[in-house]
Amino acid sequence: MSELFDQFVVEAQELLETAGGALLALERDPADRASVDELFRAFHTLKGASGLFDMAPFTRLVHAGEDTLSLLRDGRHGMTPELADRLFRTLDQCARWVAALEDTGALPADAAQAADTLVRGLSGVSAEGAAGGGEAAGEADAFPWVAALAREDRDGVGMAGGVITAIDYRPDPECFFTGDDPLALFRRVPDLRWLRIEPAEPLPALAQMDPYRCMLRFRALSGAGVEAVMPAFRSVPDQVRIGSVTLMPAAASAMAQPPAKPIAMAPPGSLAAAMLEEQARILDLPGSAAERGSRSAAVARAVAAILTALGRPADRAVVAAACADAGTLRRFLADDPLENGPPENGPPEKPAVAEARPASPRRALRVEPERMDALMALVGELSVMKGQLGPLVRRVGDGEVTRDMKAFSARLDSLVGDLRHAALRLRLLPLARVFDPLPRLVRDTARRLDKTVELVLDGAETEADKDILDVLGEPLLHLVRNAIDHGIEAPERRAASGKPPGGTLRVHAFQDKGGVVVEVSDDGAGIDPAAMRKAAVAKGLLTPDAAAALGDDDAVRLVFAPGFSTAGSVSDLSGRGVGMDAVRTAVERAGGRVEIASTPGSGTRVRLSLPLTLSITRVVVVEAAGSFYGIPVAVVGGVQRVPRAEIRGVKRAESIVLRDRVVPLVRLRRLLGQPPDDGGGHGRGGGGEADCVVLAELSDGPVAVAVDDVGERADVVLRPMTGVLRGLRGYAGTAVLGDGRLILVLDLRELL
Amino acid sequence: MPIRYDADLARFEDACTVEDALPLAEWLEATAAPRVDLSACTDLHTALLQLLLAARPTMTAGPEDAFLARVISLPATGP
Repeated sequence: MSELFDQFVVEAQELLETAGGALLALERDPADRASVDELFRAFHTLKGASGLFDMAPFTRLVHAGEDTLSLLRDGRHGMTPELADRLFRTLDQCARWVAALEDTGALPADAAQAADTLVRGLSGVSAEGAAGGGEAAGEADAFPWVAALAREDRDGVGMAGGVITAIDYRPDPECFFTGDDPLALFRRVPDLRWLRIEPAEPLPALAQMDPYRCMLRFRALSGAGVEAVMPAFRSVPDQVRIGSVTLMPAAASAMAQPPAKPIAMAPPGSLAAAMLEEQARILDLPGSAAERGSRSAAVARAVAAILTALGRPADRAVVAAACADAGTLRRFLADDPLENGPPENGPPEKPAVAEARPASPRRALRVEPERMDALMALVGELSVMKGQLGPLVRRVGDGEVTRDMKAFSARLDSLVGDLRHAALRLRLLPLARVFDPLPRLVRDTARRLDKTVELVLDGAETEADKDILDVLGEPLLHLVRNAIDHGIEAPERRAASGKPPGGTLRVHAFQDKGGVVVEVSDDGAGIDPAAMRKAAVAKGLLTPDAAAALGDDDAVRLVFAPGFSTAGSVSDLSGRGVGMDAVRTAVERAGGRVEIASTPGSGTRVRLSLPLTLSITRVVVVEAAGSFYGIPVAVVGGVQRVPRAEIRGVKRAESIVLRDRVVPLVRLRRLLGQPPDDGGGHGRGGGGEADCVVLAELSDGPVAVAVDDVGERADVVLRPMTGVLRGLRGYAGTAVLGDGRLILVLDLRELL
Repeated sequence: MPIRYDADLARFEDACTVEDALPLAEWLEATAAPRVDLSACTDLHTALLQLLLAARPTMTAGPEDAFLARVISLPATGP
C-alpha cells in the first residue's frame, strides 16, 4: 500500500508538471492538438490513479478537469485565457494536495470544499460547451455511479442496455436563501426513473446543523433525452451535470455479478485484493473503444504496480494482455502463477506464461539527504586522512618500500579525488528544476499587468548542488517578477520609445570557474542612477553629499540596500522594498554574489554567482599572529603585496588605492584582537617593507584585509560552529586542511 | 400551519415550505423519540427533507403523494 502510494505521489507530481507545460503551450497556440491530448491524458491518468486511494475530492476535481478538456478536445469549447486560468488553478490545487499527501498522507480538511469551488468553475465551462454543442453523448465516464448501480436499482430503472440521461446535481449550500428548492426541480424531470438523495458531506449532529444550508446531493436517471431534462435545471446550470449514458444490463454488471473466482494473488479481504477487484470492475465500465483502450492501459499499469507491491512482479506484456477484459483479468489474477495449486475448473486458459523476469527499466533512486550528508562527511574525512599519508611517506626515507608507498599514495590520491568528485556529482541536479516554475510565473505576472513578455530560458541543463538550487529558487522568482513589474514597460510606453511592444526576459545559466552563474536580463526601462540617488536621500539612507559622490554603478547597486524600493507605488507583485534585499541576503548566505548592471532605456541585468556546492567551500588560507584562517574564495577579489608606504593612515583608519579605487584597509590581527605585527614578524613580507593584502568584495563595497601571509587555496568541508561556539560571530565554521591542520573559516561580513 | 406538532408526533400537511425548517429542527432536537406522519403532505421542501435525513425520526405514515413516496420510502427512514 505505502509503496503504491509513494509511487502515486511521484507520478502525480510528474503528471502535474507535464500538464502545466502542456497548458502553457496550449494557451500560446490554442490549435495545438498534441498539447490538448497530452493535457487530457495527464488528467485522465491522474483520475485513474487517484481513484485507487481514498481521496474523493482529488478524483472529483481531476475528473471535472478531464470533462472540460474533452470538450476542448472535441472542439466544442475553445481555449480562452479565463479557461486557462481555471485549469491552472486546478493544477495548482492538485499540486498543493500532492504536497500535503506526501507530508501527511491525507488531503487537507478543506479539500472537499476547495474541490467544489474549482469543479463549479470548470463545470460552468462544461455546461456552456454542452449547451452550445447540444450533444452530450459519450460521457458515460462522467457518471461513474451509474455503472456502480446495484442490481435492484437497475431493475427499477428498466431500460437495460439502453441510453439514459444521468443527472448529478449538487446544489449550492446557500441555495435556500435564493428561493431554490432542489427537490422540487425533480418533479419537473420527465420520465424520472431513479432518484437518490444523499448528504454530500457527512451531516452534523442535529444541534450543530444549520437548517438553511443545503448539504445534499441529488443523483437521478431519466428515460427522457438530455434536451428534455435540461429545462428543469435551467436556473442552476453551474450546479448540475447532465449527460447521456449507456446503462449496461444488470447481468453484465460487475457489481451485480459475484466475481468469477476469488482473487488468489492477494490474500482475500486484503486491500490489495479489493484494489485488484476494482481494476476488473473498471474494465467492465461502458464507454467508447478509445476510452476502453486507454482505461485498459491504465488498469494494466495499476495491476502491475499492485503485483509488484505484493512482491509478485509480473511481466508487463502478460499483464497488459490479461487486461483486455474483466473476465480475462479475473482469470489471470485468480490463477496465481507462483502457486501451483490446481484451479478448481481444470487448467484455465492463460493468456501467456508469466515468468518472473528481472524488472528491466532502471528507475531514479531516491536517497535521504541525511545519507548523502553522511557520505560527504566520510569523503571529507577520507581526504584528510589521505593528506596525512604524504608527510608520513616522506618520513620513511628512501628505499624500495618508500617508492612503492609513494606509488600507492599517488594512486590513493587520485582515487580519493575521483571519489570526492563522484560524491559531489551525486548531489548535482540540473537547473531546470528552478527554471520550471518560471514560464508559468511570467505568464501569470504579465497577464495581470497587461504586458507582453517573452521568456527566453537558456542553460537549464547546467548542474548545481541541490542545496544551491534550493537557495536559488526564491531569489530567481523575485528577480523575474521584479523584471516584469518594474523593468519591462507597458506596451504603449515601449512603442513610444521605439521598442517592440512585447518585452524579452532572458534567464541564462552557465558554469563559471568553481561555480554556477544565473543571469536575469530584460530589455526594459533600466534603472536611472539619478533617480536612485534622489530616492536614497528621500528615504534617509544617504546624505545628499554622499549620494552625489556615488558613482553610477554604485547608485544602481542601491537597489540591494535594505528597505529600498524605487517603485512609485507598491504593487501586489513586488516592490515592497524587501525583494532585492532578500535576493542579496539569500545569495550571500550561500557564499555567492549578486551584481547588477543597468543601462537606462535599454535594460537591466542581474547576475547571481553561486558556488557549485555548499558542502565544499574553496578558501584562501591566510596567516595572522601564527594561526591559520580561511577566507571563502567567493568574496576574494584578489591577493597582492602592498608596500607599506602606499598605505595611507588617517588617524587609526587606513586605506589604500587598489585598481583606481580607494579601499579601506583593516588588519586581521586587530579584527581578531591579536597584538599588532611588530614589523619584524614572521611574514615573508620582508618585515616593514610590504603587507599582504586580501581584497574582499563585500556587498557594501570592497575591503582590503591585511594579513601576515597568504597560503594555498584549498577545498574544505566547512563545519558550522556547534555547541557553545555557535554564538561566536565572525566565523563561518571550522575546516580541516589536507595536511590535517584545523583552521577557522572567517565570515568577513560579520567580522567587519 | 403545514406541520402540526402533537407531543412526539409531527403531522405534515399540504405543502411544507422552508419556513417550517427552523421549528422542525428545534422540535426534532427537543423531542426524545420523534415520530412523523407524512401522509397528508403534498410537497416537502428540501430543507425539511434534509432535517428528516439527519434526524431519522420514526415514520408512522409515508407520503401519499406519488413523487414524495419515491423520495421517502418507509424502511429507508425508519430508525
